[in-house]
Amino acid sequence: MGNDTLIRKENRKAALFRLAPVMGLVFLFAVFLILAIIKDINIPYSFKNIINQSVVVVVAATGAVFIYTLGSFDISLGASLCVSALIGAMAYNVTGSVLVMLLVCVGVAVGISLVSSVLASVFNLPVFVTTIAMLSLLSALVLVLIGANGTGDVIQVPAAAVRGINNVWFKLIVMVLYLAFCIFLFDFMKLGRKEKFQGGNPVCAKLTGLNGKKLAIAAFAIAGIGVGLGAFLTITYAPTLSRNTASSVGMDIIISIVFGGMPVSGGARSKIYSAAIGAVSMTLLNQIMLTLSLDSGVGQMVKAMIFILVVYISMSNHKGNILPR
Amino acid sequence: MKTLKRLTALLLVVVMVFSLAACGSKESGGNDSAQTSGPDDSQNVKIGVLVSDVTSAEALAFRAYYEEYIQEQYNVTFMYSDELADAAAEASAIDNFIANNCKAIISFASADRPAQIEQCEQNGVYYAVATGTLTEEQYEQYKGYEHYVGAIGPDLYTEYMAGYNMAKYYLDQGYTKFGMFGGATPYYTEMHIYRAAGMLVAMCEAGNGTYMGANDMGSMIGAIYGAGCQLEPAVIGDVELVGYVAGYDFDDAWFGKLAAVANDPSVEVLLAVGSGQTAFAGFKQANQKLGDIDCYTADSVALMESGTLDYLAGKFSASIGPVFIAVLSAVQGHPIRTEEGNAFAISQGYWVATSAEQAKEYFEVDSSKTEPAYTRAMLDTLYGASYSDLEAFVQKYSFEEIKELAK
Repeated sequence: MGNDTLIRKENRKAALFRLAPVMGLVFLFAVFLILAIIKDINIPYSFKNIINQSVVVVVAATGAVFIYTLGSFDISLGASLCVSALIGAMAYNVTGSVLVMLLVCVGVAVGISLVSSVLASVFNLPVFVTTIAMLSLLSALVLVLIGANGTGDVIQVPAAAVRGINNVWFKLIVMVLYLAFCIFLFDFMKLGRKEKFQGGNPVCAKLTGLNGKKLAIAAFAIAGIGVGLGAFLTITYAPTLSRNTASSVGMDIIISIVFGGMPVSGGARSKIYSAAIGAVSMTLLNQIMLTLSLDSGVGQMVKAMIFILVVYISMSNHKGNILPR
Repeated sequence: MKTLKRLTALLLVVVMVFSLAACGSKESGGNDSAQTSGPDDSQNVKIGVLVSDVTSAEALAFRAYYEEYIQEQYNVTFMYSDELADAAAEASAIDNFIANNCKAIISFASADRPAQIEQCEQNGVYYAVATGTLTEEQYEQYKGYEHYVGAIGPDLYTEYMAGYNMAKYYLDQGYTKFGMFGGATPYYTEMHIYRAAGMLVAMCEAGNGTYMGANDMGSMIGAIYGAGCQLEPAVIGDVELVGYVAGYDFDDAWFGKLAAVANDPSVEVLLAVGSGQTAFAGFKQANQKLGDIDCYTADSVALMESGTLDYLAGKFSASIGPVFIAVLSAVQGHPIRTEEGNAFAISQGYWVATSAEQAKEYFEVDSSKTEPAYTRAMLDTLYGASYSDLEAFVQKYSFEEIKELAK
């Protein structure tokens, strides 16, 4: 077999794999629509519901793609989102300003992300190691914040304060703006290319003069913005925050990124829209299981099996004979 | 790559179009059926059930009553939420129910009840609280909402008395050294705080002492909140709280603390505000007594038969029957309101068993899928009933009173 034939074959295969998450999303969408018609589901409300349920993960996970592209991993994002939301809510209760709440949420999340990445740089540790330490630290901080607030086991923002922005349009605008920002950085700026290079081959990246630590700090800062926006959107949707707030978001971010076709090893095949596709696919899958009245245990097993399948397909795609191009 | 981008763009457009549809849609709530003679079984009614606990014996017993008895008897379908951990999860679950055309929601979850009521009112979906009540402040705020049906469950005074009566049962027998499991008290869970307060006040009365300077209901509740809901062992006059453990950490340290309290040779009685069978049953010494506030299950009956448990104040699974019929009645156009036209708030107590025979008798009725404590025939008498009839029915909650009602 000639080189050209091999390359064409590999390219076709690669294109198919690249499209797999999108096709999966379309498939889930079609199944959901069919079920919705058969089971007399309120379709307009369902779409509003899907946006409400996926927007926080879409925003937080899209930022996290920058970290995953480096071949790194952050398991503290859910806890970071919770801490940011709690401090943001406390800031609102002090100032009465929604804008201050937004800025505090983003500021705290970026700060936490920077601490993780800077610590890793100072101690020369793999970044994911510091995120494990941050997870413990942030989980403890959640309890301290709630205890210090002195109003019981929750921190609340008055529902009336966020009622005006608890609508689909506002959430869509925040999501689209942040997605556009990330796509711009990832696909049209040097930063995205450098991140992919660093993730794909750190040794070569270093030899060509790239500073891996600076790239890590930049990636974590961008992810922090997403987490902060996610914290703000969490408050607008449910302004009563507790130690359980966003408890599942950390895992949802990981699942969404993988579900959206992002290679777990990062590198050149990383795609910025993976998180959005994955998060919406997961929400659709949840809706389908709910409509079918599947027991939550069965639902979890179905999700686990699909997760393994997606990772397997993703890994298979990397067994080609040529480098990605 | 271009194809991929086009597909992604197409998807985004589709999502936007449906979002527009979602934003422009109007909800239709309520119903138009009106039949005063009894429940209308001609059309299926979907009811969402919010739960924050899907594994405890109590939660499973409630679910079994709805799914294995009520759903078989009435033309209704219950949709259960997953285990809801926070207010956002509750809001999502309500959205799911509304999308699935549920006409009403019965809530066992309490992360943010005001938000639940607001969300249901906004979307024209009936809402009721089972096995709990709103605070007085919350009730005053929401009692006039059209879609807020009401709440049936132990109010906080009933919770206080459940703890008080259990401690007094042992104090009256001359026991003075206690170990206590405070359950979710450190998480500011009112139900457990009030039960703990009741136990401590009973100890104060029997021991002629005070606990953190308090010796009656009001001051004890204040003292507990003042201490950040963190209780400590203390000498209370002639009575002593020898050991205290709380929380649901389920780690080695937590089990170690429970074992330490139970293994203290001076402890005569172990009291639990809830989950006492999980917390203490495995560590309890043969000469110790164990009292718990929980529910009637095959396990609790077995523990009473073996002498491990000797006092159980338990919820009965059919206790959620009246709130169901009130919800169905509202959905079918016959809401039950107070004389002032408000939502109801009715307190309901526990069945107390102090012997294995009693517990066995209670459990046999409680676990029956054909003749539970509240049968369809009994519940049908409440369909479209007056508030006073509903209140009278619910307040006759003891095992003997319910047997009388069944006749």
